[in-house]
Amino acid sequence: MSLPPSIILEGAILGLDYGLLAVGLVLIYRTSRVVNFAQGQLGVVAAVFLVKLFYDFGFNYWVALVISVALAAAVGALSELVLRRLFNRPRVMVMVATIGLSQVLFLFTVFPFIRPKKLFQAFPVPIDWTFHVGTFLFSPGDVLTLMVAPVVVLALAAFIRFSSWGLAMRAMAENAESARLSGIWVRRTSTVAWTLAGALSAVTAVLASPSQTSALTEVLSPDLLLLALLAALIGGMVSLPVAFLAGIGVGVVLDVLQWNITNPSSGPATVELILFVLLQGALLVRAASLQKGARVGERSSWAMGTAAFRRTTKALRKTVGSTGVGASLLLVALLPFFVGVGHSFLMSQICIYGVIALSLTVLTGWSGQVSLGQFGFVAVGGDIASHIGSGLPLIVLLPVAGLATAVVSVLVGLTALRIRGLYLAVSTLGFALFMQTSVLATPCFSVPLLHKQICSGLPNPQSTLLSRPSLFGLSLNSEPAFAWFSLGVLVVSVVMVRIWRDRGIARRLIAVRDNEIAAGSAGIPVVRTKLLAFALSGFMAGYAGVCLAFATERISTNTFDPTFSILVVSMVVIGGLDSIPGALLGALYLEGLPAIFGSTPTVEFLTSGVGLLAFILYLPGGLAQLLHSFGDLVSDGVAQLQTRRPDALDGRPGAHGVPLDKVFP
Amino acid sequence: MSAVFPESGAAVAVPAAVTTEKGGPARLDIEGLVVAFGGLQAVAGVSLAVEAGAIVGLIGANGSGKTTLLDAVSGLVSPAAGKVLFDHEDLADYIPEERARLGLVRSFQDCRLYPELSVEDTLLLCEDARHRVDVLSTTLQLPWARRAERDKRKAVDRVIGSFGLERFRYHSTAHLSTGTRRVVDLASIVLAEPRLLLLDEPTAGIAQREAEAFIPLLRRLHEVTDSTILIVEHDVPLVFELCSTVVVMQTGEVVAAGSPDEVRGDPGALAAYLGASDEAINVSGPAPASGASPAPSPSPEASPAPSQSTPPSAPGG
Repeated sequence: MSLPPSIILEGAILGLDYGLLAVGLVLIYRTSRVVNFAQGQLGVVAAVFLVKLFYDFGFNYWVALVISVALAAAVGALSELVLRRLFNRPRVMVMVATIGLSQVLFLFTVFPFIRPKKLFQAFPVPIDWTFHVGTFLFSPGDVLTLMVAPVVVLALAAFIRFSSWGLAMRAMAENAESARLSGIWVRRTSTVAWTLAGALSAVTAVLASPSQTSALTEVLSPDLLLLALLAALIGGMVSLPVAFLAGIGVGVVLDVLQWNITNPSSGPATVELILFVLLQGALLVRAASLQKGARVGERSSWAMGTAAFRRTTKALRKTVGSTGVGASLLLVALLPFFVGVGHSFLMSQICIYGVIALSLTVLTGWSGQVSLGQFGFVAVGGDIASHIGSGLPLIVLLPVAGLATAVVSVLVGLTALRIRGLYLAVSTLGFALFMQTSVLATPCFSVPLLHKQICSGLPNPQSTLLSRPSLFGLSLNSEPAFAWFSLGVLVVSVVMVRIWRDRGIARRLIAVRDNEIAAGSAGIPVVRTKLLAFALSGFMAGYAGVCLAFATERISTNTFDPTFSILVVSMVVIGGLDSIPGALLGALYLEGLPAIFGSTPTVEFLTSGVGLLAFILYLPGGLAQLLHSFGDLVSDGVAQLQTRRPDALDGRPGAHGVPLDKVFP
Repeated sequence: MSAVFPESGAAVAVPAAVTTEKGGPARLDIEGLVVAFGGLQAVAGVSLAVEAGAIVGLIGANGSGKTTLLDAVSGLVSPAAGKVLFDHEDLADYIPEERARLGLVRSFQDCRLYPELSVEDTLLLCEDARHRVDVLSTTLQLPWARRAERDKRKAVDRVIGSFGLERFRYHSTAHLSTGTRRVVDLASIVLAEPRLLLLDEPTAGIAQREAEAFIPLLRRLHEVTDSTILIVEHDVPLVFELCSTVVVMQTGEVVAAGSPDEVRGDPGALAAYLGASDEAINVSGPAPASGASPAPSPSPEASPAPSQSTPPSAPGG
């Protein structure tokens, strides 16, 4: 059977959308040095608003279009004004901020003055032209895309090539500092870039929406963004034309692949697999050119600007700290006696999320390797539980699953030896998507050459039932029992991570993160240390995955949705990146608040991207910073009660917010 | 004697527990070394022999290939041709961390260290490199892991005491002044027990007066670590004062080598790095040999006053 030309054209039309998104990503990357995870969401707001104007208010299509594109441009500019405060912060932090931004923008689409009354209705298209290729009918939406997308990109290219703004953008892409020194208005230029990107995103969403079948608000989903990222990476995050053409190429390749796959059940899985391979390939091939030259930003260390580890030598402060820890532990341990079954289940969840957040503290907080795919590792653990969960005693299963996941994690970490920062984030996000949509969703697949069936996925991807095992003969079937078990796992994890922190593991990870060359020259094995971080983190995520699977008892591919990975990143950022109590507080904040206080608008607002953004902007040390200040306050209070004057010189400078110049005037 | 090594004699006691495995100073032979970046040969066929126990200074104008030479010796760049021999052993197959374990230690020009590690952790790291404890033993806190960590802390405590770093123990290095960071760097060098020490501009970013204090400091370092030192330095008088052999490089080649007096008397060598200006030669340290006073005796200003001129200065100033 030969390939019908309509398939290629269909792929190309899809690819035009990816290309437009990719161009937007490159545009932002060139000026702000950040992978903009809000690129899709910027336009979705506009597309939703267009539907509102067109159907609910009866606006003319073109008027509605102009208004909504202008809205997206304004939102883009506004976003830049917010993110501008992070100009000197690590780029990875800014990237997490764009994730928060995209969540805030999602909230926008829920507001009644933007959200249309009916979400599932045909997206308006101003033309009704159609055409046939073979037997395939191309819709008016397709025609519109074919006409508009190239024009938009050409116009943008001309703007960048010929206008003075464009020249400034190109200069900034090469070296922002020099550009600034030679009189380019860096911030204003970057605002212009974001404005353009907003408008571009709106056009993308308007073009992509007519052919979508899902709800309007999900038109530019994370996997679509990942496709666009793939195209942008092929363009080296710099070249607009290459990114655009690569987008079309990705569209065609995927469509042809999909058409070629005869077995419909394994179809999507195989496509995801190829996509994953393509993504890793693009990252590895491009790694050299992405990280060379003056772009120190993405190579520089994590450098959070927070004190490395808060260490105190004051006995009183230590007592206050351990009293606090002991009291809260006791309180939590007694909790299942007083709360209902639902809340006991919630307690298990928070504890397990705490472990997952800790695993990210090790990998991202200490080792500086940004993982947006931590739930990929959790999924490995869950998958193992679904296969051998009933065969092994729990006390053996946990470390076994942990070790197996550590192996997978190290394999993923091998890419981290060549790429890091933003690119590693993209790579790990790809891994998490691949785990969910390809590995877990395919119960069995046959290996072509060996003629063997390998059953590595969930036995039933939609719903796999697990029965909770017992621990030392004690049944974990009741929710309070499982809550205590989860708390036990969390306590063991915290003790373990504290040992790593205080007994030499953490300092090696941080040294390699902060100054790889010096660490190597001092005799620290750099490669092994980096992989060690992946192994330790994967180990924890793996046994947490087992716990999560048993906690929910019924798992599906959705249990391990990659968006949870982003939730975990938010937890760690909100809690305080390199802090152990911070990870736990973050888990409590994001998992606990909504469940305890219900999904009131206030809580949703606080725990959504708004909260995340606020934390990044105003509290870089996270909740841990608050906790430590509170501890200091209590400790000082107690000291005053004991009528001992607090000795200012005894406070460790930098550790508890004592400014250095006060200590050494 | 400077306050960095507070009392002369045994003040900087090299911890007994870690001295056992260390050999004496190593010799370094560089044979026909070529390092090329693209078409540019940063090091164009350098041959150099550094005797065991010597202090050799490497000087030359910016871009003459001094740091690249150090990079090649420490394994950060791989040479296009030529050999580096450490005690007659070819280092070609050794990656930087393996060279470090042989006792080849280097300091860096920027002395950035690890911004977010505390001084204590930075020093403990040097111990980690030489006393490996596997992760499992650490996690389970097995007896030998606990003992190893205790020994490391003891060694570090001694060095912190003798370098006067006690009050900076819990500071992250990012918050230290450049001078203090240099001292931390020197402390790590003592802990690392080098057999061959490569110093890349140890006085860069330090005030002239403090740089003068570095001469006795480096001598002491040489004595305490019992090592061979190859030092790259822009402060020419410091090099002439300190080194037994001076090597002059120009555009990737060695143009002169010999005792300080020989090099000083070689007008070609002078032109290579200074444009033969007497003022530059006399920036710090004693007057040149032609003067009335003999070279080694420092003038009053040059002799370091213990408390003022030493590097550990209050940060944040």
